[in-house]
Amino acid sequence: MAVLEIMENEFQERDFTLPVEQKTEIKIEDLCVEFPDKDGGDPVVALKDVNLEIRQGEFISLVGPSGCGKTTLLRAIADLQKATQGKIEVRGQSPRQIRLQKKYGIVFQSPVLYDWRTVRRNVCMPMELMGMPKKDRTARVSKMLELVGLLEFGKHYPHELSGGMQQRVGIARALAIRPEILLMDEPFSALDEFTKEKLHEDLLRIWRKTNKTVLFVTHNIQEAVFLSDRIVVMSPHPGRVSAVIDVNLERPRGIEIKETPEFTAIVSQVRRSFEGI
Amino acid sequence: MGKKNPYRKERILSILYPAGFALVLLISWQTQILHKILGTDTFTLPLPIRILTIMMDNSSDILTDVAATLIVALTGLLLGSVLGYLLAVLATALPRWGMGGLNMASAFSAVPIIAIAPIMTNLTKDVSDDPNIRSMVAKILVVMLTCTVSMSTNAYRGFIELKPFSKDLMKSYAAGSWTIFEKLRIPNCMPYIFTALKVSVPASIISALVSEYFAEYIIGVGRQIRENIVLAQYATAWAYIITACLMGIVMYGCLMLAETIMLKGRRT
Amino acid sequence: MKKKISALKNKYESTIVWLIGFLVIWEIGAYIVEGTKRSPENVLPHIYQIVGSVFRTELVNGSQTLFQIVLSNMGITLFRALIGYLIGAAAGYLLAMLMNLFRPLEKMIFPYLMLIQMIPILGMAPIVLAVTKDIDKSRIIIAAILTFYPVATNTLAGLKAVGPQRVELMHSLAAGQIEIYKKLLIPSSLPYVFTGLKISAPMAITASILVDTLQGGGGLGCILSQSLKHATSIYIFWQIVLFSAVIGIASYYGISLIERIVNPAMKKRGSV
Repeated sequence: MAVLEIMENEFQERDFTLPVEQKTEIKIEDLCVEFPDKDGGDPVVALKDVNLEIRQGEFISLVGPSGCGKTTLLRAIADLQKATQGKIEVRGQSPRQIRLQKKYGIVFQSPVLYDWRTVRRNVCMPMELMGMPKKDRTARVSKMLELVGLLEFGKHYPHELSGGMQQRVGIARALAIRPEILLMDEPFSALDEFTKEKLHEDLLRIWRKTNKTVLFVTHNIQEAVFLSDRIVVMSPHPGRVSAVIDVNLERPRGIEIKETPEFTAIVSQVRRSFEGI
Repeated sequence: MGKKNPYRKERILSILYPAGFALVLLISWQTQILHKILGTDTFTLPLPIRILTIMMDNSSDILTDVAATLIVALTGLLLGSVLGYLLAVLATALPRWGMGGLNMASAFSAVPIIAIAPIMTNLTKDVSDDPNIRSMVAKILVVMLTCTVSMSTNAYRGFIELKPFSKDLMKSYAAGSWTIFEKLRIPNCMPYIFTALKVSVPASIISALVSEYFAEYIIGVGRQIRENIVLAQYATAWAYIITACLMGIVMYGCLMLAETIMLKGRRT
Repeated sequence: MKKKISALKNKYESTIVWLIGFLVIWEIGAYIVEGTKRSPENVLPHIYQIVGSVFRTELVNGSQTLFQIVLSNMGITLFRALIGYLIGAAAGYLLAMLMNLFRPLEKMIFPYLMLIQMIPILGMAPIVLAVTKDIDKSRIIIAAILTFYPVATNTLAGLKAVGPQRVELMHSLAAGQIEIYKKLLIPSSLPYVFTGLKISAPMAITASILVDTLQGGGGLGCILSQSLKHATSIYIFWQIVLFSAVIGIASYYGISLIERIVNPAMKKRGSV
């Protein structure tokens, strides 16, 4: 398994002076997702005719009010939700193939930790599934916990940690198997503002070090602008893409950037795109 | 629209599967395949039709026993639940002593009914000259004891496990302990009462049946099961067993119905 | 931390006070009975009389003291209860697993599992004896049935309560069925399994004693009936009451102890 070998370049910083690769990572064509109605009525249309291209190494956010299908879209890409119509291609393969190759890392809204396992063994779990030798696992777990700043909490059980720390364990676990694509479903929405800002910076640092493609679902516009290269604005009933907005803010970004006029301008631009809905 | 709704299919299947299972069981019983599996004969395990006939023929006798058992079970259930509820109120009012009392109560629930039933029979020797009445009192006491435990522990939890901040909200209106109790704790307790009843309704019937074994006066569905087996009248014993099962199911059904009505609109 | 300890002490303090209160009421009752009844030990003896009877050394039936009789019969009863308990628990666990694996099986069996809980199984004990014609088998079967359904329903509830996102996490990692069971479903349902085991432990013992009373083949229930019919000393009955209470409670806490050993996360949570 090639994925198992420790890639030397994994933790090298990305050089932003070089042009970003324009290779397509995920391609979505005319995607429709419908859910059958429980009482035998017409099916509920969650996504209708979604077309989207995501580039390799890109940080892309899906933004929209509840019911716009942003989570459904993420789940369809993760192969956790079947498409009714249309096609999703990830690196020229189907989402299912990519999932079976264990190339996805998922972070949910709640940390989804296994409360009978310690922090270390939670991070370790995906590697156990890959059949990684124990020695490599131990080293990798330490590395991941160091990356999210929780090395000294390895022996704790999840319920002994704060919400923010639990979410960081979730991120460490998602990154543990070196996924090519990181899928994050409102990972910070349950956290307080201070913890959230800290994790935003951490996430950008980790992203910069690992060069993953990140798909980030949120309903928080500021969060989306701060993190992303591009923002996909979605609208409900039925769920569809209503706008795609480029975020041309320089990287690396710090908290200060939130006070610049450029930042504010993009936030208003995203907000205005909602008003048309 | 041509597609079939998957939910509807699910619903139909969830009736068809268990019905099919019952049918297979009944057929294998009637055709004596079941007897071969269990290694028994139609004398100890009579055919369903025969049991049904006996139930029809002896319906008035059976009804007398059902009434005797039901009076014991229901009276015990009522008294025990009320007592348990009052104990829970007391435990809530005096939290320092409440917990310990409930620990005791749950310890009692681990004591086998068999040990309690004879004690009660002895204790009630002088209650009445009529053996029927004093047996009944003894049996009711046994049922009451088993029902008290589950109601007191569950109702206490219902009084204590409030939604976060709901008590603070009441306090912000300067509500006293009694108002908090009336407006918050009692309604909060409702679902817990049903949790308790789901345990104590079947338990009340079981306790009634078992305490009948040890009672002085020979009456009741449980005692008839035993007496008929002693007399090797297995078919009659089976008729009483089926009756006991039906009693359990009907009482549980009534409870579920009451729950649906009483807890309407609540998330369970 | 200090506050926690004092609160804990308080909890035990009030339990002890309740226990003392219970004993006091018992003793008062015993005094009243002593004054008014002809044979008070049949109705309500003093506690010291019961405890004293445990240590009596004279032989009752030629070879055994009262306590030895109770002890040897307790062995017979508890051993059968344990076998039934283990069989019932294993069967219940297995069935819950199968029901979770095959949806049609769940649909087929689940309503009946609910039905069993409404049916007075103990009332069926005599007929089980009639069918099996063997007291040992009947003890085991009844104890097994009574253990079976709390374990099965609780395990199934545990497997269902696993949380869709935890399963999705496993799917996103392309985990196979066996891995999902091994890493997720089995460990996460463990607390539920133990709830079932804790409920059914006293029930299995009750069942086994009850079955004893049906036939004169030895066992706690058997000597209990004899004692009540005054065939032997009435103190045998009171000793059984005492010990069955202790065993019932001990079985509950014994299972809790095993749970803490099996599930270290639980242990840690308990101490925090």
